[in-house]
Amino acid sequence: MPHATRPSTNESNFLLSALRENLRLDSRALDQYRPISLQFPSDPDVHGQTDVRIGKTRVICNISCEVITPYPDRKFDGVFTINCELSPLMGAGVEVGRPDQTEALISRILDKSIRRSNALDTESLCIIAGQKCFHVRADLHVLDDDGGILDACCLALVAALQHFRRPDYEVNGEQVTVFDPREREPVKLTLQHQPFCATTSYYDAGTIMVQDATLLEEQCREGEIVVSMNRHGEVCQIAKYGGVPVDALGVLSVVKQSWEKVKMMDAVVREALFKDERERDKGGRMKAELSAENERVMERPVG
Amino acid sequence: MAAAMVLLPGENIPTERLPKPKKGKLTLGPGLQHTPPSTISATTAGSLQVDHRKAALWLEDAGGRYQPSVGDLVIAQIHHSSVETYSCALTPHTSFAILGQLAFEGVSKKTRPQLKAADIVYARVSKASKWEDVEIECFNSATGKAEGMGQLKGGMVFDVRPAFARRLMMGTDKEGVSKGGVVLLEEVGGKVKFEVAVGRNGKVWVDSGSVRETVMIGQLLRGADEGGWDVEGQRKAVKKALRDV
Repeated sequence: MPHATRPSTNESNFLLSALRENLRLDSRALDQYRPISLQFPSDPDVHGQTDVRIGKTRVICNISCEVITPYPDRKFDGVFTINCELSPLMGAGVEVGRPDQTEALISRILDKSIRRSNALDTESLCIIAGQKCFHVRADLHVLDDDGGILDACCLALVAALQHFRRPDYEVNGEQVTVFDPREREPVKLTLQHQPFCATTSYYDAGTIMVQDATLLEEQCREGEIVVSMNRHGEVCQIAKYGGVPVDALGVLSVVKQSWEKVKMMDAVVREALFKDERERDKGGRMKAELSAENERVMERPVG
Repeated sequence: MAAAMVLLPGENIPTERLPKPKKGKLTLGPGLQHTPPSTISATTAGSLQVDHRKAALWLEDAGGRYQPSVGDLVIAQIHHSSVETYSCALTPHTSFAILGQLAFEGVSKKTRPQLKAADIVYARVSKASKWEDVEIECFNSATGKAEGMGQLKGGMVFDVRPAFARRLMMGTDKEGVSKGGVVLLEEVGGKVKFEVAVGRNGKVWVDSGSVRETVMIGQLLRGADEGGWDVEGQRKAVKKALRDV
């Protein structure tokens, strides 16, 4: 039966002694992230899918939307749900359907960072108040777990939200026409800010702080602090579920370090989106029709 | 010399590839199956290896799954202990292997080693079949000697692919050329003192004088495994790493 791996005594002792000498197993600095790669689908008709890799950790996110009736107590808002299910794909010892603490924590932190902070403006998803609105649904799948799945999930989610295009619609009195993407260009979602999560693990009663822990480092840590903030320095939430106590100055320095990392992640996402936009714009759908140039036929002059 | 042939499960081996055995007997190694009268087919995916001298055929599998076979040296992690045995994990995806509490050199009921959960041992697979639990032992039951097996203390364990671990264990042939194409540990051993134990289940235990050296060896192992360095590439990487330490 697959069972959760626990590191051996040799590994955890070695990891701690290496950290005390400021060494990590992959020779990174204590506050250095692994290389982040962000990919969008190459199909120009598909929007809102991302494939994020932080080192060996891999997460994919898919955004979809449909038209539904809004909740009666929130007539002017659309609905935005985040669904993250952990599966045995990501490692041994994870079973589908088993109530796992990790899954609950991930859902809760993503919820607080993105939904409750109003990163996605749900009022912009309303079509007709009280009758029709968009339900934007984000599905996250963790494909490989080598530590840092929360950071990767948040990054994938925010990048996918910025990449996604919802169908355009027109309202005529009570009549709503939702256009197919081929009839009218789909529209970007309104994002008020882009929050990212940065996880800091700590060891030795809070004296050693490490960012972007690998799976082995996560299993040996004494606790972690997850800070969600955007590149402007606005903190959405700070989560510390148990673990060895850390003093206030420690938490403040963690927030400051996380801000640097969030700015880095934001730059990665922006660059990837910009490159993707440039690739998709090649030619464009209507360029041939919109051009006023006639086709030139080379003919020999007569006479 | 024909190019290496890659086979998928179920494919038959063409007769011109089969070596001519002197005594009329052909030895089949892992990954091949004989259907009488004269068809040999592949059961897993891999590249076909032929040894004409020994009239042997087998498939080299570059996969990540380790399947225990009798006589393999493995690094096992104790998960829990029961009355007479320890339950050890060879890989996180398979069921536990059984290690008898008295399967060590020169022990009796009163003088056996007290192993706890999360300790690691270097052991040999003594029984491996699909329908029973795998059994391992920490001594050679024929001679009664430990031969390097037993609890591994200190050091660090690195994960590698089982195929890479096999290449590490292949040793050298008559001219001193490494059979598996991995010269890493020998090159590093020229300058740095360390102890190493390679488990066929994809684990390498390294214990060196300092933390920095052990981390360096681990990095080199991972680089050679994932980067697929050839002998020259390994030598260059070792030289570069030794300069930094």
